[in-house]
Amino acid sequence: MEELIQQLKEQIIEVLNLEDVTPADIDNDAPLFGEGLGLDSIDALELIVMMEKEYGIKLKNPAEGKEIFKSINVMAQYVNEHRTK
Amino acid sequence: MTHLGKIVITPRGVELNSQVYPTSQIGDALLTACYRSCHADYPKFFKMDPLCRLGFIASELLLQSQDEERFIPREDRAVVLASCNGCLHTDRHYASTIHAGDNYFPSPAVFVYTLPNIVTGEIAIRNKYLGESSMYIVEDGLTEEELVQRLAELTFQDPVTTSAIIGWVDYHDGDHYNAILYLIQK
Repeated sequence: MEELIQQLKEQIIEVLNLEDVTPADIDNDAPLFGEGLGLDSIDALELIVMMEKEYGIKLKNPAEGKEIFKSINVMAQYVNEHRTK
Repeated sequence: MTHLGKIVITPRGVELNSQVYPTSQIGDALLTACYRSCHADYPKFFKMDPLCRLGFIASELLLQSQDEERFIPREDRAVVLASCNGCLHTDRHYASTIHAGDNYFPSPAVFVYTLPNIVTGEIAIRNKYLGESSMYIVEDGLTEEELVQRLAELTFQDPVTTSAIIGWVDYHDGDHYNAILYLIQK
């Protein structure tokens, strides 16, 4: 799981162009949205695309993202359980 | 009309109010280097497409002498720019993400920049310019003086507008882009 968490952090930094953020800056339990990283609604859509592209997970309802992207830990757990690639 | 400032940016350098602005980079890296040197503290810069980065940096450097006054919301300030290529570079990038049926992953973050007037919007949002925000796509045939004169005449037809960022911002690729922005007071 640690490896997946690190991979997710690196992918998030890359796809969201978080230029001045390192994986170590992202707290595993901190909210991804609303504070901290300062992500917005377009970032949420980008993460949904990333989930499908990298892990074969299709989120048909964008509202699902609200729960899944709660934190890196929650996201990693979801990916671990639902990934098809 | 009074010209309060002028900036010219090309892949090879920056000239602010007829003075060379020190940069150690060229091409796309020049824009990032300018962002670092002007201490804008605006992480959204890194999410912008190249056209927006160019317009953003040009406006940042042009307005940096305005101190905090620039961030006071005002409806009498406008951003009116013109471009030849518009957002064609980003259009092509976006098209590449949806070209292959088995690798079809359209990027929302790229898609939002497939409108050329996003650059004037980014500048207006950053500086709380609540007046006119327009981007004209024109042929690259006018002289700088003609273009600025025409845009200024159009802009100041609005009786509310008292000052404006007016000029040219055009991005083809990292080796071919230029911005010529004026800060003009009525």
